[in-house]
Amino acid sequence: MLGLRIDYKLEDKFDLGLFLSFLVLFLIGLAAIYSSTLHNHGAGGNFDKQIFWGLTGFVVFFIVYYLPTSAFKSIAVPSYLISIFFLIIVLVVGRRIYGQRSWFGIGSLGFQPSEFAKIGTILGVAYFMSRKNVNIDTFKDIAIALGIGLFPVGLIFLEPDMGTSFVFFGLIFTMLFWKGISLFGLFIVLSPGIVALSSLFGPLYFVFTLFLVVLALIFFKKDIFFSGAILALNIGAGFFTDYVYRALSPHQQKRILTFINPGSDPLGSGYNAIQAKVAIGSGGIFGKGFLNGNQTQLQYIPEQWTDFIYCVIGEEFGFIGSFIVLMLFLYIFLRIIKIASFTKDEFISLTLIGILSVYFIHLFVNIGMVIGIIPVIGIPLPFVSYGGSSLLVNMFMLGIVANIYRTRKNYT
Amino acid sequence: MNNSRVLFLIAGVFIFFLAIAVKLFSIQILKSEELKYLAERQQTGIENINAERGLIFDRNNVLLVYNRNDISFYLDMRMALSKEEKKKIGEKFSAVFGKSVSYYSDLMNVSGKTICLEKKAPSEKALLLKNFKAIGLFYKEEPTRIYQYNNLASHVIGYLSNDLHGVNGIEKTFDNQLKGFNGQMYVEKNAIGDMITVAEEQTKAAEPGNNIILSINKSFQIILEEELKKGLENFGGTSALGIVMDPNNGEILAMSDQHDFNPNCFWEYSDTLRRNKILTDTYEPGSTFKTITMSALLDQKLCRDDETINVENGKYKFNNVFINDSHNGNSTLTVRGVLEQSSNVGMSKLVQRIDNELFYKYIRGFGFGNYSSIDLPGEAEGSLKKPTGWTPITKAFLSFGYELSVTPIQLISAYAAVINGGTLFQPQIIKRIMDSKGAVLNENSPKSIRSVISRETSARMREYLRGVVENGTGKAAKLDFISVGGKTGTSQKLVDGKYSKSHYNSSFIGFFPVENPQILCLVLVNSPERGRYGGAVAAPIFKEVAEKIAKLNSKLFQSNQIIKKEKPELKNHYSAINSESNITPASNNTIRKIDNNYALKNNLMPDLSSYSLRDALLCLSKLGLKYKISGSGIVVAQSITPGIKIQKGNTCIISCQESKINGAVIY
Repeated sequence: MLGLRIDYKLEDKFDLGLFLSFLVLFLIGLAAIYSSTLHNHGAGGNFDKQIFWGLTGFVVFFIVYYLPTSAFKSIAVPSYLISIFFLIIVLVVGRRIYGQRSWFGIGSLGFQPSEFAKIGTILGVAYFMSRKNVNIDTFKDIAIALGIGLFPVGLIFLEPDMGTSFVFFGLIFTMLFWKGISLFGLFIVLSPGIVALSSLFGPLYFVFTLFLVVLALIFFKKDIFFSGAILALNIGAGFFTDYVYRALSPHQQKRILTFINPGSDPLGSGYNAIQAKVAIGSGGIFGKGFLNGNQTQLQYIPEQWTDFIYCVIGEEFGFIGSFIVLMLFLYIFLRIIKIASFTKDEFISLTLIGILSVYFIHLFVNIGMVIGIIPVIGIPLPFVSYGGSSLLVNMFMLGIVANIYRTRKNYT
Repeated sequence: MNNSRVLFLIAGVFIFFLAIAVKLFSIQILKSEELKYLAERQQTGIENINAERGLIFDRNNVLLVYNRNDISFYLDMRMALSKEEKKKIGEKFSAVFGKSVSYYSDLMNVSGKTICLEKKAPSEKALLLKNFKAIGLFYKEEPTRIYQYNNLASHVIGYLSNDLHGVNGIEKTFDNQLKGFNGQMYVEKNAIGDMITVAEEQTKAAEPGNNIILSINKSFQIILEEELKKGLENFGGTSALGIVMDPNNGEILAMSDQHDFNPNCFWEYSDTLRRNKILTDTYEPGSTFKTITMSALLDQKLCRDDETINVENGKYKFNNVFINDSHNGNSTLTVRGVLEQSSNVGMSKLVQRIDNELFYKYIRGFGFGNYSSIDLPGEAEGSLKKPTGWTPITKAFLSFGYELSVTPIQLISAYAAVINGGTLFQPQIIKRIMDSKGAVLNENSPKSIRSVISRETSARMREYLRGVVENGTGKAAKLDFISVGGKTGTSQKLVDGKYSKSHYNSSFIGFFPVENPQILCLVLVNSPERGRYGGAVAAPIFKEVAEKIAKLNSKLFQSNQIIKKEKPELKNHYSAINSESNITPASNNTIRKIDNNYALKNNLMPDLSSYSLRDALLCLSKLGLKYKISGSGIVVAQSITPGIKIQKGNTCIISCQESKINGAVIY
């Protein structure tokens, strides 16, 4: 009976299901990186590097796992400030890659401050929102929460890294929602973003969305000046989008255009989207087999080991492989929601939901772009894509989740 | 926590996952076949493998025509190259091809189209650029037909159009034999169009075209062409035609139409120059036709040698038409004398002894009014009226070569029948056809058409024709070391329907040795400016040709004739021409050259390095050696050292290396 007791204790302290799900995802990712870099001489060392980052990530994971849970709250403010500091520094001395200034170079290794800023921002926003005197339905506290959350977004936007900025947006709104913002408050916060997005599709969509906003304002029955101000904010957001669109680099503009009409430029920026779809689709139910995906091996999709890694899985392991990946993520997400909904500590709960939203947005944006339901926005698939910074940060956050699971009984 | 928000969040997560799963199902299961097809279509392609066109050799296996894989470099200017890139390309090309950098930068000073940086660069230079990559730069293989000796036998060989189809000569007649069958290979291409793998099991190799060995003797051809050229210089004239034939089987040993053209750059010449007038242009043969008339008369025993004919001092009124002799001054001539002095009057009187139908039958029998069926394109049949259409004077005029038109090839074929014992042979230009591995597919044997005159008549005609050269109009063709027979011809040309007094066809057909004719040669000069008569214009050209051919082949004629001491410098001159054919053209790795002359004669191992695999095997099988091959492409090493005596049946191991650039690569 001794063995059973030990097993029980392990299960009790360590979320094995969560960890194994992550481990399988990481191993599938390694296989896909190996396959996609096999014939690419420029990326030959990436498989070894990913193993190195993976091992480093395990160390980080277990360190975070064994930290006292209260430590996260005490490092919240410093980590937020350090994140902001590095985001500013990188704008000045960062290495320019593909027109973005988002990397520090340390020898042959790269370091991406915007990845680490995710932890700082989650902890920072959770810290503010969990303060006792915060009422998230007041305009002031919404503004402060948004300010804390959107300041790093502004800095990241300057790099410019649209994909990562998008993740931060999603992160803040999910946390606001979890904190319990009223429906109207959420409407005020979200509607400018929706209007901005729709204005990209053309004036007709813009006007139609504004019409919906007016309907909603009538539904909420607020006073006429306040409603007018909200409407003005929305119209402003629409025009601001136009301004931002012009400020974007040409390749990002093209990506937005090809999302609106993917066939418009099949050899240009729509190329990746089409090739990715062809790769995944040609995999069929069972896939072409490991190292046998022609699209992958013949390098039809550039830099497939990073953002387009899901194509490798889809092509070589088929629908079954890609569905398994999806299910593993679903399991991880449901575990996090479960832990977050049982804990009584608001800081911990908000932190977990922040982590969930980062994973979720990465997953949805990444897979969504690969299979063609959203435009090509270059962000990696958590645990699977090649990339040191991203892997370390994701394992750090997974460490937080595991840590909270370990001590969950103290907070329920 | 607020339960509804948890449910809302879980619902949201499920909705997004459902969306992804549905989309995945749609593209991986529902549209899978369509996308698989798309993937395969872009990844695989069919590349044509061009078959190598067959080679053309002379009768002694001297290579006359081969192929070179030149490579052209193109630059797609739509790629909007930066200044640095243009500079990089300009400098690299300048370094390789030796032209100035500004030459290339001027070329690249356009936009929006594809430009050709280097057209048909030799492959060894192109190899230097093999690893040079630049945006928009790509190259294409452009097989080029090389006519090694430029103008030599250009009318026989012909040339290729830009799309590599034979246009004239052998290249046209034997296009199907020469072109071979193109192969195909299935290739896998990566995203930038580079070929990655070739599906070996689905590759259909190209079958090289067959090689053609002409009956032409390159040395004779050189002699004929040089002498015709000299003749044109000496006598003027619009063109000079010449044919050298073996009268015993109809094989053409040399054939030239001066002025000729260079098939390597045929586009620089007019259509008239490229036409082979020996086949396409007919003329009234004039006195050379008297030989035909006389053969018919002798064959029918309608006259005797010693008979005398009144030739009316060269002017004779016949059916109200005056017939004149050019070489007048005789009142009577023997039958033999009529031919020797080429008397029109004598011929027109003698020909009255033969029945119209019978005379027509003889003329037809010698092949006039009908295609000679030589394997060259564009032949004319000439014109010969049927006896029912003859006027009272037609037969007389026919007897000395008017009122019919012939081509030079018809005339020389008829002469071959006159002197060879009476058999008309189809003129042949091809000796054999071999496949690319050296197996003989078709060996041409003499094609006798019919026997026209008897052996005895033929022997008498040879003596008559010797008389023409010894005593008559053909004295200028006489050689002092070998017996020559022949007949002169001068015919007025029809200009605007009237016989011109200033335009003549001057011709001579001769042969040697008279006792056992080996060489028959026709020379025809069109509208000579200095001199008019065949005896004065064409006969001296014939003499030069005959003398040089005879001396070149001294062994051939030794048994028959005492040969004078050859002038040493002459011998050297022609041995130099001969050895020229043994030189492997240097510094070109795709040149096919079979050096069997020296090696075969002395039974020594030849040096195969830089041979194509195909030619090396051809050579080895000729030598009776077995072989083992490693690699493919160009021979780089051989196990039997060059110069070593060959033991038949030994095995020679040859290693080859590919030095060709395959396929078009688009960067």
